[in-house]
Amino acid sequence: MLGFVARRFVTALVSVLLASVVVFSALLAVPGDPAAVILGINATPEARAVLSRKLGLDVPPVERYVRWLGGALRGDLGESINYQRPVSALIRDRLRVSVPLAVGAALLACLLAVPLGVFAALKRGTLWDPLLVAASQLGAAVPSFWLGLIFILYFAVQLKWLPAGGFTPFEQDPGAWARSLLLPVLALGLGQAAVMTRMTRAAMLEVLSQDFVRTARAKGVATRGVVLKHALRNAMVTIVTILGLSLTNVFIGSIVIEQVFALPGLGRLAITAIGTRDFPLLQGEVLVYASTIVALGFLVDVSYGLLDPRIRYG
Amino acid sequence: MPSRVHPYRSSLPLVLALALTIATLLGSAAAQDPEPVYGGTVTVAITADPPGWDPTVSTSQEIPRVMYHNVYEGLVRFDATGAIVPALAESWETSEDGLTWTFHLREGVKFHDGTDLTVDDVIAKFERAMDPESGHTNPGYYAAIASVEAPDARTVVFRLSQPSRGLLYNLARPDSIVYPAAKADTQRSQPIGTGPFRFVSYTEGSEVVLERFDDYYLEGVPYLDRAVFRIIGDPNTRFAALQAGDIDLIGVALQPEQYLQLAGNPELKGSEGTATTEITVAMNNSRAPFDDPRVRQAITMAIDKRQIVEGAMFGLGTIIGSHMSPAEPYYVDLSDTYPYDPERARELLAEAGYADGLTFSFELPEPYNIERRSGEVIAQQLRAVGITAELSVVEWGTWIQRILLGGDYDMTIIGHSEPRDINVYANPDYYYKYDNPRIAELLAEAEAAPTAEAETAAYQEIARIIAEDAVNVWLFSPPYLVAARADVYGFWQDQPTPAIDVTGVYRAP
Repeated sequence: MLGFVARRFVTALVSVLLASVVVFSALLAVPGDPAAVILGINATPEARAVLSRKLGLDVPPVERYVRWLGGALRGDLGESINYQRPVSALIRDRLRVSVPLAVGAALLACLLAVPLGVFAALKRGTLWDPLLVAASQLGAAVPSFWLGLIFILYFAVQLKWLPAGGFTPFEQDPGAWARSLLLPVLALGLGQAAVMTRMTRAAMLEVLSQDFVRTARAKGVATRGVVLKHALRNAMVTIVTILGLSLTNVFIGSIVIEQVFALPGLGRLAITAIGTRDFPLLQGEVLVYASTIVALGFLVDVSYGLLDPRIRYG
Repeated sequence: MPSRVHPYRSSLPLVLALALTIATLLGSAAAQDPEPVYGGTVTVAITADPPGWDPTVSTSQEIPRVMYHNVYEGLVRFDATGAIVPALAESWETSEDGLTWTFHLREGVKFHDGTDLTVDDVIAKFERAMDPESGHTNPGYYAAIASVEAPDARTVVFRLSQPSRGLLYNLARPDSIVYPAAKADTQRSQPIGTGPFRFVSYTEGSEVVLERFDDYYLEGVPYLDRAVFRIIGDPNTRFAALQAGDIDLIGVALQPEQYLQLAGNPELKGSEGTATTEITVAMNNSRAPFDDPRVRQAITMAIDKRQIVEGAMFGLGTIIGSHMSPAEPYYVDLSDTYPYDPERARELLAEAGYADGLTFSFELPEPYNIERRSGEVIAQQLRAVGITAELSVVEWGTWIQRILLGGDYDMTIIGHSEPRDINVYANPDYYYKYDNPRIAELLAEAEAAPTAEAETAAYQEIARIIAEDAVNVWLFSPPYLVAARADVYGFWQDQPTPAIDVTGVYRAP
């Protein structure tokens, strides 16, 4: 197990580094210069040259990257060109929005999807099953930003129960914090729940058709025991994989949702960073996104062994 | 506060009816504005995080939208109608030869950090503005200034190398604001001005908070205790936030269809005024086929601007024929220079050797809705005369770098919203790649003009020449649209310069 963890850790580091190189090269390949974006469309070439120098953009790109990497290894992500604040501080602020949003949406998805998926699998052959399948099909097909807009129009504009967007920090007002996150979590979580319901149902159906379930039934275990002790536990491996994927999806999907709800999260920061060619900020963001995705994958892998002792790490 | 009548209105009866209803509502609302009430907060939408808050570092228009006159002021400023009025200078005079401008500073002006405004702050500001190495925005605005000096503690004298008609106008622009000389480098993140509001906090991606400055030199204003500028990128979310009561005012990028919805909602109101934007279909004049004036004329005549104003703007907008909007003091209507005539367009194309058709790329800037919509209509109209405009959408950073700075494009479309920016046609390197030395001569004539009439005549001549040369296709000038909660009063109804000045804003039940 220890060897497995060490190997996975090295792979993770390489993945994150690769992601940062790819993003850096992509930024070089697209036209655009932070000084030009900052100065706007009527700026003179002299003014652009002066600002480029001030921002340290006259340094060759490879050298800029190596400098950034050196800093990052020492824990210094540099300063954002657009905001003139340390990248780490900007990201820390944004995580306070993006983490509750992603975790909330993923939790909501699991709490809905696992019971519904199990229920649909057990009710196979009754009217419930096609009903749930159809509902989840619809849920999976509806884009989250559209759902978000509908929620805003109904709950914010029509009923005036919840704000139409924006974010209140927890320490400022916990109630307002929850209210500002409720609609985005719903918009993001419901679509995910639909996808996960379908996958849970499929996983359960597969397990339920296996021999050991028939054996358990044959030896007289009650349905409840069969489902919870035997089938669900075995289906969990699939479900956890889905959960890992779903957290990743939710994390990426929040980029759109943040835009719709005007939430100051990581996703909108990334969009600004791309638009302004804010190289240090974008690199910092890539680091966060890549590490999160890699870490989630790692946690899923480790959990397999806990859920199913037959799985061994070679 | 009269609502404006535009030379052109949509022929769509529904739209016309709605627009008239709004105009009537506004007229009656404006006639009985209640007495100003002190106190309270108004929350205003803006569209994006700007690159810092110093308008002398970046020309991003999001900066003056929040800061102009609210936080920062110059010697003079624009009022709601675009007139130039005293700000830090209470009066000024010009010498007979127009080469010496003397400004008398107001007494008792304090910066938000508690220090007094001095002549040294003013001199340091303009020395920076005149120094091309300082990185100050638009050094060209100050090109005529030879020196700035202070004969006494309340007087600033500009000596010019040549007379400059545009000087006062340029001194009213957001670029010409004054901040404490010792704190010039920290303005991007910690703005300190002399305006009626002081900058309190900025949460990136979320909001900017301004608070009433108690030591403001004008009695009686501002009315509000606080003004919050909330950053909401999505136009639908902005409008929903206004409908929900989360925000109180949208004074930027209000969509025409949203404006038309206001009439049905008693909680909201709107206003339609003038802006200095020209929606411009730009052509690369140095590149075939656009290097042939007949092709540019043909393209102009193939485009039905009325249909675009109807289709993309729901009838809201004034058709123009050159690079000036009706909000400019020297505006002249040139929309008939090459009227819509697809037959003639075909003939011109045939004369130019393109009888069998013509293909080029037409690039639309991603962030701008109205431009994208207009571009799609134009591509269809061009197809009718045998021109294939291949549409593609370009991300903004790329647009600036490759098209604006690199001049590497065939055709594009953009709104030029800077006031008085017809001077760009004198620059053969500007992305239109239009080379006509006569424009620079006329600009110099305008600057040195002995009278305002002569100045106007020179500007109108420039407008006429570029219209006849069909350098670009100028489609329309969109109106300045505002939407507000019904209890908000005192906002600007025109946009003589990009600004959401909340000095006169108040809430009254």
